[in-house]
Amino acid sequence: MRGSVLIALVTLAAAAFMPAATGGATAPHPSLPGLPDPKVMLGQPGRYGGVFLDSQQSDPSTFNPILANSTSSTGPLANVFDGLVEANGKTTDIEPGLAESWNVSKDGRTWTFTLRQGLQWADGTPVTADDVLFTFRVVYDKRIPNSAADVLKVAGKPIEVTKVNARTVQFHTAEPFGPFLREIGNASLIPEHVLRRAYDAGQFNQTWGVNTPPSQIVGTGPYRITEYRPAQRIVYDRNPHYWKVDARGQRLPYIDHIVLTIVPNQNALRLLFQGGQADSYGVRPAEYAEFVRGARAGNYTVYDGGPSFGSEFLAFNQNPASGMPDYKLRWFQTQKFRQAVSYAIDRQAIINQVYAGHAVPEYGPESPADKFFFDPHVMQYPYDLHKAAAVLAEAGFTKGTDGVLRDAGGHAVQFVITTNADNPDRVAIGNIIRQDLTALGMQVTFAPEAFNTLVAKLTDSFKWEALVLGLTGGIEPADGQNVWKSSGSLHMWYPRQAKPATPWEAEIDRYFDLAATTVDQNRRRDYYNQWQEIVAEQVPLIYTAIPRAYVAVRNKFGNIEFTAFGGPFWNFPVIYIK
Amino acid sequence: MSQDAAAAPRVAASPAPAGRARTPLQLAWRRLRRYRLAVVGGVTLVCLYAAMALAPFLAPYALDYSDRSLFYAPPVGVHWVDARGRLHLRPFVYAYRVVDASLPAYAPDTSRTYDIHFFVRGAPYRLLWIVPGDVHLLGVDAPARLFLLGTDQFGRDLLSRLLYGSAVSLLIGILVVLITFPIGMILGGIAGYYGGFIDNVIMRSVEVLAAFPSFYLLLTLASVLPPTLSSGARLFMISAVFSFVGWGGLARVLRGIVLGIRDVEFVLAARAAGLSDLRVIVRHVLPTTTSYVIVAATLTIPGVILGESGLSFLGLGVQEPSTSWGLLLAQAQSIEALTQFPWLLTPGVLIVVAVLAFNFLGDGVRDALDPRQRVA
Amino acid sequence: MIRYIARRLILLGPLLVGITFVSWAVIQLAPGSSDYFQSLVLQYPQISPQRIAALRAQFGMNQPPLVQYLHWLWSIVHLNFGYSFAYNVPVAWLIGSRALNTLLLSVTSLIAAWALALPLGIYSAVHQYSALDGLLSAAAFVAISVPSFFSALLLLYAAFWTHLLPLQGLTSVDFDFLPWWDKILDVARHLVLPTIALGVFSVGGLMRYMRTNLLDVLRSDYLQTARAKGLPERAVIFRHGVRNAINPLVTLFGFELGGLLSGAAFVENVLGYPGLGRLVLEAVLKKDVFVVMGSLLMGSVLLILGNLTADIMLAYVDPRIRYD
Repeated sequence: MRGSVLIALVTLAAAAFMPAATGGATAPHPSLPGLPDPKVMLGQPGRYGGVFLDSQQSDPSTFNPILANSTSSTGPLANVFDGLVEANGKTTDIEPGLAESWNVSKDGRTWTFTLRQGLQWADGTPVTADDVLFTFRVVYDKRIPNSAADVLKVAGKPIEVTKVNARTVQFHTAEPFGPFLREIGNASLIPEHVLRRAYDAGQFNQTWGVNTPPSQIVGTGPYRITEYRPAQRIVYDRNPHYWKVDARGQRLPYIDHIVLTIVPNQNALRLLFQGGQADSYGVRPAEYAEFVRGARAGNYTVYDGGPSFGSEFLAFNQNPASGMPDYKLRWFQTQKFRQAVSYAIDRQAIINQVYAGHAVPEYGPESPADKFFFDPHVMQYPYDLHKAAAVLAEAGFTKGTDGVLRDAGGHAVQFVITTNADNPDRVAIGNIIRQDLTALGMQVTFAPEAFNTLVAKLTDSFKWEALVLGLTGGIEPADGQNVWKSSGSLHMWYPRQAKPATPWEAEIDRYFDLAATTVDQNRRRDYYNQWQEIVAEQVPLIYTAIPRAYVAVRNKFGNIEFTAFGGPFWNFPVIYIK
Repeated sequence: MSQDAAAAPRVAASPAPAGRARTPLQLAWRRLRRYRLAVVGGVTLVCLYAAMALAPFLAPYALDYSDRSLFYAPPVGVHWVDARGRLHLRPFVYAYRVVDASLPAYAPDTSRTYDIHFFVRGAPYRLLWIVPGDVHLLGVDAPARLFLLGTDQFGRDLLSRLLYGSAVSLLIGILVVLITFPIGMILGGIAGYYGGFIDNVIMRSVEVLAAFPSFYLLLTLASVLPPTLSSGARLFMISAVFSFVGWGGLARVLRGIVLGIRDVEFVLAARAAGLSDLRVIVRHVLPTTTSYVIVAATLTIPGVILGESGLSFLGLGVQEPSTSWGLLLAQAQSIEALTQFPWLLTPGVLIVVAVLAFNFLGDGVRDALDPRQRVA
Repeated sequence: MIRYIARRLILLGPLLVGITFVSWAVIQLAPGSSDYFQSLVLQYPQISPQRIAALRAQFGMNQPPLVQYLHWLWSIVHLNFGYSFAYNVPVAWLIGSRALNTLLLSVTSLIAAWALALPLGIYSAVHQYSALDGLLSAAAFVAISVPSFFSALLLLYAAFWTHLLPLQGLTSVDFDFLPWWDKILDVARHLVLPTIALGVFSVGGLMRYMRTNLLDVLRSDYLQTARAKGLPERAVIFRHGVRNAINPLVTLFGFELGGLLSGAAFVENVLGYPGLGRLVLEAVLKKDVFVVMGSLLMGSVLLILGNLTADIMLAYVDPRIRYD
């Protein structure tokens, strides 16, 4: 057992997985009564007390971390539950969480985690290996619809979880699983002693709904919920059993209460912040200049997080089941056609008008925010109408004297771009793209429609021609397999293919499978670089621009270490009020 | 036949004082003119509808014209006196100069003046969807722009878009009236005229409709509208939605009125003359409700205009790139609009003006047609 | 009278079935629109089609639409409103958690509107064509011509700039730590803006009604008789005029009673008020069908009962009206 720990640490060449950033090694090792080995969070020694005024748009839909799948639910629970491991907000590396250490067997298929000694749930009950087992039993239960189960499947099979002793559990994957650590960290641990009875009665889906008395919601995180008023606010106070300490060995968190105000729209979020009733605000690019000017008077700082993860793109339908005439389908399946469109999109205009200049052009599927996996060498399509026309000509398109672009068969290039009307940025981008393509002689109609209609077309009827859409990205490319693998249900341009329709889609499939079953992170990066380059060359999705992320935070806090990945509050337990 | 002609004015004529030979309509017109607010409302509406009809000619730019370098530009100043203090015979504008593109901030470039020309050739259009033309009332030479009400996020001329968007906002009310009123009148007339079982069926369906919380019904209906490519079809669908919600109230009131007069002599006479029931209803019974219907129509339209603006505000109404006042106002709902780009609020002002004008007119018409009858 | 009420109440059942059936058909049979579960794909790209199917089955939404409706109807008969898709909690709880707030706002705005509109309307009628009457009438017209979301927006910004009133919600962040009198004060302060947005802007219409009704009554023959008898004008106006002029407004009051809980989605959305309107708007957009159906049903019941109350009250105040 011991031997395999050492070997595992050596084989894990990637610095990404070294549990070094905790700093526990240098300072004299702090400990608390009953908690001999707490996790140390670095930072200036802070003061206890005070309230953090948070805010968010729309109500949580559940307090059950297993069932939660929208940000409005996962956000309010982030401070209540923990995973076995966690990502460092600064380095993006995986660090120990509830598990103080782990190792992986030589074949990369067996992971052994050891829980910290003396861990307690917020109600004082000890955290044991049985809780881990229970958590994954719930996750893999077919009756319980949760998204963690989809991510934590390796080669279509669940991960086997076994208990070694009260503090040790083993995970066994059918094949080596590259994103294992990151995905396992996303699964929040839930208490067996609270939820077991409901689970056995088949009632798990109804547990910890928003109608639950907050005192029943028990986690391991720095805070616990004390009050929820629907459509108004959630109130938290500090968890006296939390398992992190500051550098002096004092138990965290510093701040006593969090009050999370729930508002119905973006405008209200902003008013709340400017009125002093919220301590932070995600500044939209268009508001940036104004907020910077008001920073001194409002006693806040605007942090620049660099490029964000999400991006809007234009997609053409390449699905033979779309009911489009053959010649139209052929345009959209033509690589040169898509490349020409990419050249014709004035990304600078999008950046200026939609994001007030605070964005960067994007040509590939991965955001530069993902420092590890981002490939800067993908093919680029700077705005160039002549180039676009030339590429179109190569593909047999000609612009007639009447200014109308026609294909080799004489069909006028005419199509409809759609998007969901409730997203003003997408509507704006669609408008700009429509104008740009009109300059090439294409006859483009832009028709935004209701969100539900768009989804139905995308996933069910496939009756669309082109659309502007965005997906929220993350740090782990494997999370996008539903989009990128040809069998994926969100492989928008031609979903759920029985076998890849084109050689390049087959290549992408191959690289995704390889990367998923490789544990060596540098090799995974190489695979994902291949994927990014193929996508940029084939442009099934024509990317536009990535806005920068800004957050305004009141100056009253100490220990803020802003990063694009973790935001201003990734180290919330050590943040204090000056 | 002769009975038909005689019956229509008959009811309206009954309250008219005997004496000088004026038709009741003339009398009503005289009374209406006494309500100054109603006249103001009427004149405003005539202007608005005329502007709507002539929109492509009056608008300096086309619906989707945009100058990407000039987004959120403030209204251009129209001058007579230039920077050097010289008086010009023609009004002129200055070109915009970009001060800071990220705010954005603009200033006039006073180094050169650009005269405003009248009847200039520009983007081709079709007046009232038929008459082709390319002459615009006003225009200036590039690089100056005649953004009299400023521009939106894409550098599109707000004035032009307001003019084009007026078609939706101003026509939707009329469309709804054209759909709702025939249905409401016929069904209300039939219910009141026949009574009994038919009455019961119609009135129960009216009650079902009346018992819908109409706003949510409207919302639900609008959210399931099939996406259409032409804005005209969408406009029609939205009108149909409003009409579906709206015909019940009218039918109920008309039924009441008809119920009251179905046994009056002239109706009995018409029936005795062997006219078919439908003919009696349409030719003899319904005309007695004319004054109520006119008033109700004038007061329905502003409600629909407000409703459409609300739907568009929520993103369920008209869709880009076509536009309506509600949609234009929806762009102004952020706080930046109020603090930095207040000109984006003009569509709100226009909505209020149009609705107010209809209300003034409706109120005046009501008093003029029958000072005793109040519409609840 | 009692027979009339009984008959109306008996009709309530079929009426509600009709209403809910139509709503159901409208929501479920919309062509080319996805249901709640399908939309999860975009929010959560990792979700698998099996997962979506499982969710759908959990709520019984995998059955034919008509069966779904009959199921729903059957549980409604047992006073079970079903579960919300989005929240996975009973619809009754969701509605209950917001209904009181909406009721509170409706009552305050109703009181504010009537308390303002009646005196103003009376004044306008008594001093017809005076300068103040003109001003009030003009103001009333403007008030009914401003879209409610627009007025709510303007109010919100006014509050933001003046720093006089809270901008959002119904209670302050420290509400639970306040003594009871401060709690009342806190809620009262939060209610000011929504009450104005919802209530005062409806004063316009109400005031116009009061004015015209009273004018009609004052011109009537029996009041001329009263005057001729030598009654002082004050008594004529208040003892006879106002009392008779209010009668038709009673119907209006009944209508408003029915609308008490249907809320005001625009105002609630702009001012962040924790009411039903926000819930329903969200549910309609997300297609959280049981929530929409539950609220529609409740709104309809209230509307019907409100109309009934209006009819009864009208019969009570106006002896000329008889139901049989």
